[in-house]
Amino acid sequence: MTRVLLTGNAAAAWGARLAGVDYVPAFPITPQTEILETLGAWIEGGELRARMVMLESEHSMVTAAGAAAATGVRVFTATSSQGLLYALEMLYTVAGWRAPFVLVNVSRGLAAPITLGSDHGDVLAARDCGFLQLHAASAQEVLDFVLLGARLGEDARVRLPVLVNLDGFTLSFTREPVALPEAVEAARFVGPFDPGTVRFRASRPISQAVAVLGGSPYSYFRYEMQRAAEAALLAWPEVAGAFANAFGRRYEAVATHRCEDAEVVLCLLGALATQAEGVVDQLRAEGRRVGLVRPRLLRPFPAEALRAALAGKRAVAVLDQDLSLGLGGVLHGELAAALYGAAGAPPVLASFVGGLGGRDVAGTELAAMLEAAARAADAGVPPAPRLLYTETELRELRKLQAIALGERHELARGERSELARGEGA
Amino acid sequence: MSDTAYRRMQDLPSTHLLGTGTSTCAGCGGLHAFRELYDVLGDKTVVVNAAGCMTLLATYPFTPFRGSWLYTSMASAPAGAQGVRDALDLLIEKGRLPREEDLRVVVLTGDGAAYGMGLAATSAAIDRGLDFLYLCYDNEGYGNTGQQSSAATPHAARTATNGGPRGYPGYKKDLFAIWAAHRPSYVATVIAAEPVDLARKVEQAARLTGPRLLLALAPCPPGWGFDPQDAVEIGRLAVKSGVWPLKEWRDGRVVHTKTPRPRAPVEEYLRRQQRFAHLFEPARDEATLAEIQRRVDAYWEEVEA
Amino acid sequence: MYRIRFHGRGGHGIKTGARILGSAFFAEGFEVQDAPRYGAERRGAPLDASVRASRGPIRERGALRAPDLVVVADETLIPVRSAGVAAGLAAHTWFLIRSAAPAAVWRERMARPERVLALAAAADERAELPFLGSIAAAAAARLVGAISWPALEGALAREVAGFGAGAQAESRARARAAWDALAPHAGAVGEGPELLTAGGDPGWIDLPLDLAERAAPDVRVPLTSLEVKTGLWRTQRPVIEPDRCHGCAWICSSLCPDGAIAIAGGRPVIDYDHCKGCGVCVAVCPHHAIHVEREELARAGAQP
Repeated sequence: MTRVLLTGNAAAAWGARLAGVDYVPAFPITPQTEILETLGAWIEGGELRARMVMLESEHSMVTAAGAAAATGVRVFTATSSQGLLYALEMLYTVAGWRAPFVLVNVSRGLAAPITLGSDHGDVLAARDCGFLQLHAASAQEVLDFVLLGARLGEDARVRLPVLVNLDGFTLSFTREPVALPEAVEAARFVGPFDPGTVRFRASRPISQAVAVLGGSPYSYFRYEMQRAAEAALLAWPEVAGAFANAFGRRYEAVATHRCEDAEVVLCLLGALATQAEGVVDQLRAEGRRVGLVRPRLLRPFPAEALRAALAGKRAVAVLDQDLSLGLGGVLHGELAAALYGAAGAPPVLASFVGGLGGRDVAGTELAAMLEAAARAADAGVPPAPRLLYTETELRELRKLQAIALGERHELARGERSELARGEGA
Repeated sequence: MSDTAYRRMQDLPSTHLLGTGTSTCAGCGGLHAFRELYDVLGDKTVVVNAAGCMTLLATYPFTPFRGSWLYTSMASAPAGAQGVRDALDLLIEKGRLPREEDLRVVVLTGDGAAYGMGLAATSAAIDRGLDFLYLCYDNEGYGNTGQQSSAATPHAARTATNGGPRGYPGYKKDLFAIWAAHRPSYVATVIAAEPVDLARKVEQAARLTGPRLLLALAPCPPGWGFDPQDAVEIGRLAVKSGVWPLKEWRDGRVVHTKTPRPRAPVEEYLRRQQRFAHLFEPARDEATLAEIQRRVDAYWEEVEA
Repeated sequence: MYRIRFHGRGGHGIKTGARILGSAFFAEGFEVQDAPRYGAERRGAPLDASVRASRGPIRERGALRAPDLVVVADETLIPVRSAGVAAGLAAHTWFLIRSAAPAAVWRERMARPERVLALAAAADERAELPFLGSIAAAAAARLVGAISWPALEGALAREVAGFGAGAQAESRARARAAWDALAPHAGAVGEGPELLTAGGDPGWIDLPLDLAERAAPDVRVPLTSLEVKTGLWRTQRPVIEPDRCHGCAWICSSLCPDGAIAIAGGRPVIDYDHCKGCGVCVAVCPHHAIHVEREELARAGAQP
């Protein structure tokens, strides 16, 4: 087993390669493009026996992905943000074809305004479509989740496509040490692609994805997808166990850090978790009883594991790097639904929304979230949701706004020229 | 061509309307073409943009526009243009906007949208007879994401997704012919390196209504692999070698506004760009060079027939 | 943990430089995290890249705070605010600036009495530009002291492999020169202290409602882009020689891609606040009346 420095994007490409992917329909979009370029270079160089095809849009790309999977090959593709949403119709559609494949999303904030930095608005917009959903917090998890996703999605009890998410920029372009599984071991873990009965061949004609009229039959097909997702949750310990045996890394559906005797717990998704672990350790050293809970699996939703991890806690501070406009944080709402009426459910579930569009979430802020949740528990008062923004940020924004709105008198002349002189990028 | 204000370079606008300070690359052939168009067309325009290199022209709070701008999405700029045009017409028709507040609607996209994802919206906009001007800056690849191959990539060019010894295996799509087949109001190819030709065509297009395309070859220093200072020279070579014919389509007729005679060998154009370096080093790929030359020759033979 | 940041421009190999350093640390048994930070992602535009290296697991994410070493490969970036050369600066941060001016001059300019070093640019300065990343990596490795030359050499060979044999040899030679030049300060840069991530008021506010007329992502004023001095991207500038200029003006003015050449009184005037230094005007002037000057010399000359 070799340990190498890989970006999250390169790790995703390695996952696909080690999973023995056959077909890669592609379309470029920042910050995911490197995944497809890496696979393309391997294919061109003969290191990967697969075919890559550039489609003209993500909608077409996902259609081609599902169709190829439905024909009987192992498929991998990747996208981000606007591309994921452009494909959204087809994400729902191909999931219903019951032909599994892995799609990596490199998360990026959604327009408008159009931007490039990371948040989870895009991947969470796809939470209802029928894809299983895994959230990676490190380049190692990215690679491993692609392998896990291939195996889990292709399991006969499941047969659903799998979306693996990694944070743009924080993970996609950042190199970290990754243990590269041996190709033979990876192939053994994933196994050869078995299309089952969902495939095209001359000798066995099949009409796939036909129209279904009538609420009862339609409901049957949709409910069965729900059953399949539930089966995936039941199968997870088995699949993760096999992975641990093969590669030595054990992935619980919900990761916990110093939770057992914690009173106040942080809950979030993705790469920020590693920073949050550091904050938890810092506060623990100061005698604070805090911990971290991080779902790795979001679909199927690991409700029982979350209830178990949070039972008896005084407060949970949930950080959503997403915003359901008109409501608030998505993870917060999903957690609340899982905890409602559960024995030992924490009385305080504080909602924080931050990190949108790549906004840094400082360790100070993570600590302050835990503090705010604890104080709310002390006071017995449910805390108001908070959109993370500072005085300094608003002051800087007002300067930009003054330029955009032509309110020149609001800026001191000195400030203005300083701003302008520096803005060379 | 009928009467024109642009006969020589000194007739070109001496004031540049598009603001500087944008984040396009130094030497960008796309910005160059758009800037020249904007100088002629003026600022009573609303530019509707699809995702691509030019999207970052307006990044909060900075805009280079004296006129207006709307960023839509990669696939739907022509549909955005439809909405703006219809709304302006309605407002004027209903007396809620004085006629002098009207704006010309201009769609600005790269080849990625124009030749690919945006083609459905474009085709439908032409079907509807939308009154708009479409400027496509064609840098022959998905430039903003790092020059992956698009439908506009020429045969044998090396790109980020075709980095092997043969380069891009496909052939450049003929967007000019696709537009012409729709029988719009006007289609023309232009290039910033020939500013008088470009200005005349903008002027001509501006006199017409309905769907009009100006297709600008946009030499791209980082994507094609040349020093920014060669951007105009490479544009001129594209024309001189016959690789980029300068022509117009109107009412079923194609007129070439420049016929290079004699034509420079395509090699002169190709060898200036790193994306074609593999055709010369370590050994000359005579077969591919000959094929490229043959195709160019065949085009002009038909034109001159 | 070592926290190191490189600053340069697109085309200087800064991202590769961070990867070289990251790979070298990794070869020496460190845990590593390296990443570029993109601005406009254009040639000439400022960009930086960072490396974190630690004997234990690295849990920090995002932009570096309190770097131990900042290497500025292009001194013209120092006045460029958005380049962020001084971002997260701490008392213990070392600065290494590639510059003809000696360290003493920079200590004064930056009002930092210590921890400022200068590395002279090579005689063939323009030829050196694509290798600034390799130079920065070698310099950083020497200053840190925990990286051996074989580890750095190996990392360099790996990271530059894709650029061809010529580039590899070039990178190695220039890296070696920087390595040797910094021998007197070998090991000067130490690991930074553990960063306190907890405590302190984050300064949160409740964001007020701004009406949509203010809060929509719109720019209501034309031409605000003029405030962005893209002239700061230049490493060289075009200079018109009045004696050779025939005053046709429309050629250079029409053929400047950015429209940065205006015509005043029949004569061309270059807008140096915005000229990106592409050199097209130099190439197209039929009378060869425009020549190129190195930007820092031109700027120095322009000062009263």
